[in-house]
Amino acid sequence: MSEVRRKPVAKNADKKAQEKQSTGASLQKIGSRKRLSAWGAHHQLVAAETLLRLLKNPLASLLTWMVVAIALTLPGALWMALDNMQQFSGRFQESGRISVYLQPGTDVVQGRELAQRIDRLPGVAETEFIDADSALDDFRANSGLEAALDFLPENPLPSVILVEPPLQLPHAELMKLVGQLNNYQLVDTVQMDMAWLERLQAILDLSERLIWVLGILLALAILLVVGNTIRLAIAARVDEIRVVKLVGGTDAWVRRPFLYTGLWYGMVGGLLAWLLLIICWALLQGPVAQLAELYGSGFTLKPLSAGAAMILLLAAMILGWLGAWWSVSRHLGEIEP
Amino acid sequence: MTQGNSNVMVRFDRVSKRYPGGKEALSGVSFDLHRGEFAFLTGHSGAGKSTLLKLMMLMERASRGQVFVDGLNLNRLRPSQVPYLRRKVGVVFQNHQLLFDRSVYDNVALPLQIAGYSPADAGRRVRAALDSVGLLGMEKRNPIELSGGEQQRVGIARAVVNKPPLLLADEPTGNLDPELSAEIMNLFMRFQQVGVSVLIATHDIALVERLGHRRLILDHGQLHEGDVIAGGQYV
Repeated sequence: MSEVRRKPVAKNADKKAQEKQSTGASLQKIGSRKRLSAWGAHHQLVAAETLLRLLKNPLASLLTWMVVAIALTLPGALWMALDNMQQFSGRFQESGRISVYLQPGTDVVQGRELAQRIDRLPGVAETEFIDADSALDDFRANSGLEAALDFLPENPLPSVILVEPPLQLPHAELMKLVGQLNNYQLVDTVQMDMAWLERLQAILDLSERLIWVLGILLALAILLVVGNTIRLAIAARVDEIRVVKLVGGTDAWVRRPFLYTGLWYGMVGGLLAWLLLIICWALLQGPVAQLAELYGSGFTLKPLSAGAAMILLLAAMILGWLGAWWSVSRHLGEIEP
Repeated sequence: MTQGNSNVMVRFDRVSKRYPGGKEALSGVSFDLHRGEFAFLTGHSGAGKSTLLKLMMLMERASRGQVFVDGLNLNRLRPSQVPYLRRKVGVVFQNHQLLFDRSVYDNVALPLQIAGYSPADAGRRVRAALDSVGLLGMEKRNPIELSGGEQQRVGIARAVVNKPPLLLADEPTGNLDPELSAEIMNLFMRFQQVGVSVLIATHDIALVERLGHRRLILDHGQLHEGDVIAGGQYV
């Protein structure tokens, strides 16, 4: 039957072939614009195909996605914690004020005058003068030592000027200010309880470094996991790769589906990590607010900012893509027709 | 890169191929295949037929001598240019190398997709190619459902869909009965009639002798021109 049916159509094909032959070696000549649009279309096709392929096998894909997600959630959670601690420490900066104790016997007028002079210094936001008598009243009211104080022949407390530097005053400027304050004749001692703030800052710096180290290690883990998954995908498609290379597929063409697969592993893993971080936040936010309230603070746990979440997602996609690239460049060369 | 005679499709110039094991598969092979010429490549198994075909696809590279295909000196072709050479050469294998995870249509469309044809263009060409091998109604079938002869024709359709100027076949009738073999050979001759250069490696001497045409005989890696039988194209 086929012989009868074939003959006329074959003639048709022959004619077409002859047309081609007359144009000589131009068989590959397709307009560059057409080729570009075909290239774009192929990217879209491969992107959709690879995603469908992953979704068709959700259990196997989920495993890789979860590994990527958990590897990203750990540094993400630390990042969130650090972010919160930084705003916390920022709030404490406000209480980083300087107590300037005046010489005993300094009278109220001199003290006030000095306070006004200090107030005009650069690097000072606010000053408050507390004379010795009101300091004693305060102490009497708050300490519960009234009886003992009554035995003292005179007021043991000096007058004090509380100096508040503006927020985020650099450390060097602060030290300069302390030096200036020490130079006044009336000043006995200058006390600045900043040491614990510095320690907190050091801890924050250390945590940030820790996040980087942890992040880099976990990024390597993602590269290895995605790379290995892609290696298996390549092994499953050896025949196809061989045929594609045989009929003139370039390396880029062969690589493309695997790179997209890596990209999807990273992207979906990143989205899952985001979800996990939101869950973590939701679970912790209540207890943290409760704890803060017990300390009389209005502190609330903030979720990861949208910008940080985007960075996390982008990093996940880049890592997935790199893992795929690493695997493909290692294994694709071995497959030759 | 380009050689003088543009009428030459393939030129082998004292080509030798030694595999890493030390075995010399081809020694000092020289021949020309002209545009639109049809030739058989015969010889005992292990004579170097497959090696000779592989050199034209750059599946292997020559140890000595030079191979030209469509004016390209294959010795000087960079790896990144190899895909573009392969798009000029259609190949048919004994085991036809079809992909069973997709339809007949998708198998044949693969070279076009790779070369960047739009789906509409590709569709027209795929149907024309399937038409020319008599399989137009089977586009949506999976190749695994087809008979051996039909699978081989799908392989041929895929080899010619991009309209390459050179068509190679390695034992294309190896698994087929004589009647189907003759049918496949008829197909190849039709492509030659429209100007494609065709080189077919086969050990089916009876078929070769019946069909005539130029005959290249490989014997332990050495090439001899065979007799040209009356009725053959080669004079």
